[in-house]
Amino acid sequence: MPVTWPDKEDNELLALVQDGSHPAFAALVERHSERFYRLAYRYLQNREAAEDMVQDAFLKLWQDPRKWQADKNAKFTTWFYRIVVNLCLDWRKRKRPVALDEDMPLIDDQESADQVMIHRQEQRVLEKEIAALPERQRTALNLCFDEGLSNQDAADAMGVNLKALQSLIMRAKTTLKERMKAYL
Amino acid sequence: MNDNLDEKLDNLLRSRHIEPPSADLAQRIILKAGQSPQTKPMPLWQSVRELFGEFHLPKPAYVLASALVFGILIGLSAPQETYIAAEDGGAAIQSFLSADEALL
Repeated sequence: MPVTWPDKEDNELLALVQDGSHPAFAALVERHSERFYRLAYRYLQNREAAEDMVQDAFLKLWQDPRKWQADKNAKFTTWFYRIVVNLCLDWRKRKRPVALDEDMPLIDDQESADQVMIHRQEQRVLEKEIAALPERQRTALNLCFDEGLSNQDAADAMGVNLKALQSLIMRAKTTLKERMKAYL
Repeated sequence: MNDNLDEKLDNLLRSRHIEPPSADLAQRIILKAGQSPQTKPMPLWQSVRELFGEFHLPKPAYVLASALVFGILIGLSAPQETYIAAEDGGAAIQSFLSADEALL
């Protein structure tokens, strides 16, 4: 059973990781792997690839924990979001775009057959349109809507100022509203 | 109307499908990290030693390199007068040449 260290902040755990503490690293992974998986999944639309990406990111952190500098990097999660996003973008450059899952599971089993069809179609179109957005607009959407990051945290993760982030989200939503008209 | 569209889009964005990760994802990462070593920061003197360790020059090369460095040092530490003398020499040649022109 891994030690979870709920009383320790991420920064404290990272300091321990920098001293070679494997249990501290395990606690960080336990705490955050799912959150970063979600982000990677948004980019890759594939479970295995997203898991590999999160694993790579955490292994890089373990192998060279001094890349994290508490004084330079405001918050571990903000900094690590950027690492995961960069890995995903690199991966996408190397590989062909992943096809969207035809058998996308349904959100709600209680929905009627028609609703199910509509919902499935909506989601497929939405994913397709999001995938077609410019990289930065997509990242802004993913961070704010999926990860529930505050605008400021998302801006920090992307290395832009708050106004730029708000503008990215606004442009993304305008494009999506236009392209998703039939479903809204 | 526009607000309604915004709200619908927000709801749609929040209900995006996501495939759950494997139950053992965290454990796999932890296990894998346990098998790979951490890079330790190296003190300066040790990195310098390792840097020199990379060079395997034969002894004559050391001698040649030392001689070269020594020669350069000697050259750089030559007294200033040498240059002045050279400048004086230049002036003498100039006056000689202009004297020659005067004769013509």
